[in-house]
Order: sequence, then structure tokens, then C-alpha cells
Amino acid sequence: MMRVRTRSLSSLLAVALALALAAPPAWAQPAYPTRPVEIVVAFAPGGGADVAARLIAGYASKKWGQPVNVVNMPGASGITGTLRALGARPDGYTLLLEPHATASMLFAVERDVPFKMDGKTPIALITLDPVIYTVKADSPWKSLRDVAEAARSNPKGFRYGIAGVAAVAAFSVAQFLHAAGVPIADTNRVVFPGGAPAMTALAGGHVDFAGQQWSESAPLIQAGKVRGLAVVHPARLPNLPDVPTAAEAGFPELDVVGWQGLTGPPGLPAPIVQKWSALVEEASRDRAFLEQAAKVNKVIAYKGPEAFWRFQEEELRKYVPLATRMGIRK
Amino acid sequence: METLGFLLQGFAAALTLENLGFALAGCVLGTLVGVLPGIGPTSGLAILLPLTSFLPPTPAIIMLAAIYYGAMYGGSTTAILVNIPGEVASVVTTLDGYQMARQGRAGPALAIAAISSFVAGTLGLVGLTFFAPPLADVALRVGPPEYFGLVVLAFSVVVSLSGASLLRGLSSAALGALLALVGLDPQSGVRRFTYGTTTLLDGVDFIAVVIGLFAIAEVLAGVEASLAAVSAAPVGRVLPRWSEVRACAGTMLRATAVGFGLGLLPGCTPGAISFISYDLERRLSRTPERFGRGAIEGVAAPEGANNATTSGGFVPLLALGIPATPALAVLLGGLMIYGLQPGPLLFEKQPRFVWAVIASMYVGNVMLLVLNLPLVGLWARLVRVPYALMAPLILVFSVLGAFSVRNSMTDVGLALVFGVLGWLMLRLGYPTAPLVLALILTPMLETALRQSLSMAGGSPLILVTRPLAVILIVAGLALTVWSLRARPGREMP
Repeated sequence: MMRVRTRSLSSLLAVALALALAAPPAWAQPAYPTRPVEIVVAFAPGGGADVAARLIAGYASKKWGQPVNVVNMPGASGITGTLRALGARPDGYTLLLEPHATASMLFAVERDVPFKMDGKTPIALITLDPVIYTVKADSPWKSLRDVAEAARSNPKGFRYGIAGVAAVAAFSVAQFLHAAGVPIADTNRVVFPGGAPAMTALAGGHVDFAGQQWSESAPLIQAGKVRGLAVVHPARLPNLPDVPTAAEAGFPELDVVGWQGLTGPPGLPAPIVQKWSALVEEASRDRAFLEQAAKVNKVIAYKGPEAFWRFQEEELRKYVPLATRMGIRK
Repeated sequence: METLGFLLQGFAAALTLENLGFALAGCVLGTLVGVLPGIGPTSGLAILLPLTSFLPPTPAIIMLAAIYYGAMYGGSTTAILVNIPGEVASVVTTLDGYQMARQGRAGPALAIAAISSFVAGTLGLVGLTFFAPPLADVALRVGPPEYFGLVVLAFSVVVSLSGASLLRGLSSAALGALLALVGLDPQSGVRRFTYGTTTLLDGVDFIAVVIGLFAIAEVLAGVEASLAAVSAAPVGRVLPRWSEVRACAGTMLRATAVGFGLGLLPGCTPGAISFISYDLERRLSRTPERFGRGAIEGVAAPEGANNATTSGGFVPLLALGIPATPALAVLLGGLMIYGLQPGPLLFEKQPRFVWAVIASMYVGNVMLLVLNLPLVGLWARLVRVPYALMAPLILVFSVLGAFSVRNSMTDVGLALVFGVLGWLMLRLGYPTAPLVLALILTPMLETALRQSLSMAGGSPLILVTRPLAVILIVAGLALTVWSLRARPGREMP
């Protein structure tokens, strides 16, 4: 029952924000934006995409003195909101916060997605949300190798939880099981409606293993209810110094990652793309912004428009074989 | 008694003029969010989150929390006055609340909703204050098989909601269960009954269905009865008699227990909890036939349970960082922006913050009661508005409410279709409540059952080898049998 109704009140928010913010500085009144900008998030408030959108929206509002509002349109695995944003007029006042799921994973799983992968204007990659492989705090498995061995010796008794069938965890756990030489078809895959319920089930011992994102795993790791065995990232994460990287844990080939970027409808004018891209780049060097991102468990990872698009294509190439191997490519 | 000391310090912080002001602002905004149909606590919080980013963490979270529990207070108003349940949680309140309003008892209904919310919300906070970390650990042990048992237990309510004919009640529930299957399969992602559309991918929208079945159907029935015949109800007493409040004391306590206990469980939907609380009261009542015809306990139970659920939901949120509802997920986002990672460490590292927020919730509950009771007189006067004016207004609010859920005209169409269906069901004597209950419970039942089977490699034995799950399933079956036997006339179809 995650129904969110924000758009009808966005004008109220706009007024409120306009009051809350000081008047725009007189020394520079750029041609864009001259009115409030909407960033559509196709997922519920509080989730990974939403948090990233709010980070950049807050930065842009302060920078430009023009409200940048986050509008949540969740539903249908993100298809509803994405369709809405990509169908908007390409004037720069409706943008899309695009995460890994709708940008590439969906295309690896479904053949008839109701929008085209290249039917958009990529702007910038903003954040990464690395995968962390976790077990319950009192699990006998102390390392990824322990998990691999246990799953290989008894695949039929191996239970893991994932959030959604075409999201990060579906790929991250499948990739690990493949790397560990475990027959995936024999294992017990339990699907949960979101990252929080999947991690809750792990902490309660109803499943034995998970591979969710940093933002979803950190609360229960820090609460001492689950243990991080490896993080898929070149370096250890700032608030989890005890969790080794996947390479340190002996699995350098693991590379599934969650991410969030900014995208516009097709035909978005180049100056607007440049302006946003430059803003994200600037934010990625801003100390306060970086600290804020780390607090909400995100790694700032700026990529410009071209690099962002190449990144998405690489992601698709990575996930198609995985989806095929998992038997979920339709 | 260390906790009491912390709590007193918390009150010292919560009672500063600044924090009182933000709690009050949150309560007012929350009430508004609750009153407006279609705008729930989740979107209310999401809209107001950016505004609080200009504040220091303590007043910001005090205000956000107040918006959340304030919305739970406000949700009952439209349910009672015009049969529009603004939230999933206030669907049950319409059953007796609207009947009370029709009988000129809108005032007592609204007042008891506020009083019961206050009592249960506050008692729930006591539970949160003293037992949060141990209760959170208990909640973790409840897994898919136990949730399955819980839904079996909740489904036994269908029998008592069926009214005169069991067959009609079951048909209504079956229709609800079928509707609940529309959309993406929760375990495999396969599309079911979507007919190639994207609007149905997410299933049939619950709020749209309920607005149609309850509010629009009622208007259609009123129009049919000819406008002149539907006279405006008298205002009557504004406040309930003291004897009525006393009679509800037990109800409020039980609603607290049910709401707080089930509210601890992140996988339990709030709509189901208020149905369970309502059914418990009906079973315990010496005059169960009054339920559905304007029983004051029928309003006190779901409203109390709602607010105790809210308090219960803060336990896994603060103790473990697990959001039990989408609205709490937004609140979690708010906490994280301030670098406040919920969990046992939060109680150790930021005791001033945690206890100030908890203390402010006690204060906020008092504020809501003080705010809401004087409003009762004003709201209750609404029933004097002639029906010829009221009916179009109810339709307008229904359409707006259905639209604002997803900003979609499809949902408006859906609400209208279900309005006609609801009217037909009323005419033919089919109860609509079982349909709604099945629509709430079926997704939970399906998910829990299939997760349980996946956990056990497909073996259904998992449902009978976990003690708590067995107890719940047996209790559900026993209650069903008992309700069947207790039915007047016992006309088995």
C-alpha cells in the first residue's frame, strides 16, 4: 500500500519553500531556472532514489535560489513515474531521478518495457549505493568464503532474501552464488517487497543471507543485528570500517552496484544539461555536501552526460547475462 | 528507574517554548493531512520534509513525528461525517461512525475517536518508553510463517462482518480477494490481469475502491431515496455522556494492546489491525448486534488501535532503524539527513535527542486532544447542511481524494465503477466490508505464504513446525468455527 500523493500539493510546497528561502541574489539572474523545477522520483519517499533526489534538490535550491521540488510517483516497479517524467515537455522543469533499477536492470529482465532505454537525455550520475553482503549477527559464517562453502555443500538448505525480482539484490546474490559455484536453481530465494523487510527477515533469522545496498544494510549492521561480510566497492565505507571489500574477501569479480543519476526527457536542450551537470560536479567537490551524503549512506560519484550514458550501457551488458543465467529474462 | 530520569530530562527539552511550538505546528499540519482525503501521512511528511531541513534536528524530528501521529487523529473525521475513509486505517471507523452521524450522534462519535486516540496513543507511548529495545527483538522473531498465521486469524473476521447471509459475505470477500490478485506477482514479477496496461501493474488502488464502495455508493443510495427524504440529521449532543466514555474504557485498553502489539510488527498492515480490534470488541460485547448500527465502541476500538499502532511503530524504528510503514520510512530518511542513525547506539549516543522526541509525543497527544475536542462541535454542525448541498460536495471530495492518490484519472474511473458496484451491493443486501477486508489481507496472505514456502524449499510443513505460527493458525480456524456456530439462525448455505 505505498501510494503517495505529492504532486497536487507541490504548488503549496513551492510557495512554502519560496517563503523559506531568501529572495534570489540580485547579482545573477540566470535564464534557467526561472520557476520551480520538479525532480520526479518513481519510488516511495524514504527509499534510495528519494534520498539521492532530496540531496541534489536541496543543493540546487540553495545554489539557484529557485525551489527544486522532489515529486514521488511510485508504482509498478518505477514504470509509472518514469513514463510520466520522460513524457514531460523537455524544458528542464521536469527531470527524473533515475536509479539502476529503471535505467538498466529492468531492460535486462523485461523485453517489453513501455519506454525506451535511449528515449531520454542523460545528465549526470550523482551517487553510488554499494552492495553489502550480510548474514545474521550470530551466524556461524564469518566470511564470504564460509557462505560459499556452506551453500555449495547444502544448496537446498540455503535461504536468502532479496527485495524485488529485478532490483539490486536479485543480481548481487545471483552473481555471488555463480562465482561461488553454487547451483542457483537449488537454493531457496525469498522475495520481499523492499530492502527494509528483507533486512528485517535476515536479522530475525528467517533467511540466512542478503546482498542489499549500503543504505538498506547500514542501520541493522550498526544496531549489531546483522554482520557485513563484504562491500562491493574499491575501498571500505566510512561508517563501516570493519567490513572488508569484496576483493579483500576473495571475490574481486563481484560488481553489482546501486546508483542514482539525473535524467531529462528526450530533446532536453544542451545548455540545461550542462548547467545541471556542472552543478552536480560542483556538489561532488563540496565538503558539506559530501558529508551530508555520507550521513545518508551514499557515495558521491559524479559522471558527466556522456560518461553517465556509457556507464548505463555497461550496466546493461553486465546484467543481461546474469538475468539469463538466473532464468528471469523474459 | 534510569528510564524515568531520561524521560524527565526529555520533558525538560520538549517543554521549551521552541519545541512546544514545533510540536503544535506538527499536530495542526498532521490533523489537516488526516482530514483531507487522498493525502495521507506519507505524502504529508514527504512534502513537509524539506521545510524542516532549516531546523536543528530535535525540533525538526519533533515536528515530523507530530505530523505523523496527528494525521492518525484527523483520519476519522471524514470517515464519521461523510463516510469517506481518508486513510486505510480509518476504513473500519466508517462502519459505526457514519451510522452514529446519521443518528445525530456525530459529536459523540468524533469525541470518542479523539479520546480513544489519546488514551491508546499515550498508553502506547508508555510501552515505547519502557520496553523499546527488548520488544524490537521480539518483533524480529516474527517471520513469514507467523505472518501467515496472523492473516488466517484476521480472516476469521469475515464471518462476523458478513451480516445476515454468510453466503453473501463470503461472495463479497471472494471478490475482494480476486481484485487483490491484479498486478505484479510479488514473488516472480509476472503480470497478472493487467491486460497490457501500465495502470493496473500496481494493482487496483485500495483508496479508490474504498472511496467508491463507501462514499460514492452512499451518495447514490441517498439520491435514489429522493433528496427530500434524506433529511439532514440533527446535531444532538456534542460530547458523549460520561457513562459512554466509561463503557469504552475496556475497549480503549484492549485497542491499545492489539494496536501496540501488532504495530510492533513491521509486516502487519495498519488496516488489518483496526479490523482485528473492531472484531475483538464485537465478540466481547454482550450486545454484538449493535455493531454496524452505531455502536460507540465500534468507533473507539479502531481509532484507539490506530494510534497505539503509531506508537508501536516507533519501537522498531528507533531501536533498529526498521520502518514499519511507508510514512515511517520518510521519517527515517529525515533522521538520517541529520546523521542520526537509529538503533541501540542512538539511545546511548544521543539520549537527549531520543528522549526529547519521545517526551514531545506525550505532549503532542495532549495537544491533539485539546485541539480536537473543541473542533468536534464545529464538525458536528456539518451534518445540518442540507443533503442536496452535501451530496455534490461529498462527490467532489471523493473524486479529488481518488485522484490525488496517484494523480491519475484511472483511479477516479475506478472509484466511480466501485461506487456503482457498492450501490448495487447495498441494494441487493451484500455487505461491502468483507470485500475491503479481503482486499487488505489477501496480498499479505499471498506474500507470507509464498515466502514461507520459499524458505522451506516448497514444503508446507514449515507452517506447522513453528510454534507461534501453529498457535495463530489454530486460533484462526477455531474462531471461524466458533463464529459460524454462534451465528443467529445458522443458515448454512
